[in-house]
Amino acid sequence: MMRIDAAVKRETFYITASVLIFSVLMQAVFLIVGFWDVTVLFGNLYGAFLAVFNFFLLGLTVQKAVTKEEKEAKNLIKLSQTGRMLGLLVLAIVGVYLPCFHFLAVLLPLLFPRIAIMFRPLFDKKTSGEKEGENV
Amino acid sequence: MLEIAIGIILGCCALGAGAAMIAGIGPGIGEGNAVAKACEAIGRQPECKGDVTTTMLMGCAIAETTGLYALVIAILLIFVAPGTFVDILMRTLGR
Repeated sequence: MMRIDAAVKRETFYITASVLIFSVLMQAVFLIVGFWDVTVLFGNLYGAFLAVFNFFLLGLTVQKAVTKEEKEAKNLIKLSQTGRMLGLLVLAIVGVYLPCFHFLAVLLPLLFPRIAIMFRPLFDKKTSGEKEGENV
Repeated sequence: MLEIAIGIILGCCALGAGAAMIAGIGPGIGEGNAVAKACEAIGRQPECKGDVTTTMLMGCAIAETTGLYALVIAILLIFVAPGTFVDILMRTLGR
């Protein structure tokens, strides 16, 4: 069985936590606007799972790719990206089609990792500051 | 006439979805190049593997978002937009 790299675990945990926080915010927005029902909750859970799982698979691929030769790594990443995109397409269509999921609640969480990464430098600065403090 | 209008709406939605998915080609190429360069960097300095992996993972995730935007737009155009546009057309025509 493949051993999961510490960097992949750490980043997946960060993305999972961020996606959960943004999901709660999205639920709040749906509630305020007056569109909230149980399909929004189910759709959000499904979409959040897809987003995190996609990121985790990306992490595993990157972990595997860095141990390979340059050209082999390039091909592996391209293949993985195509596979993940097709898988995501099928699963997102299933989510949009099934009446137990709200289509917006399924699709919006797919974009949450990008927002989470946008806020990442804030945490990095804090961590590097702490490290500098330790060194002094 | 109404059938033609609905046909045009459906056709335009499908064309738009197809055009949006062109953006799905870019991330694969971009990620591939990034990982190839990262492999080169790790080959030169094996001790910085952890840092390179973390940075590259975030970079790949950002690159992939472009494809995800396209995917979301394409799904919305195929499964949601036709119904909405046809509803608007019907309302405009008063049917």
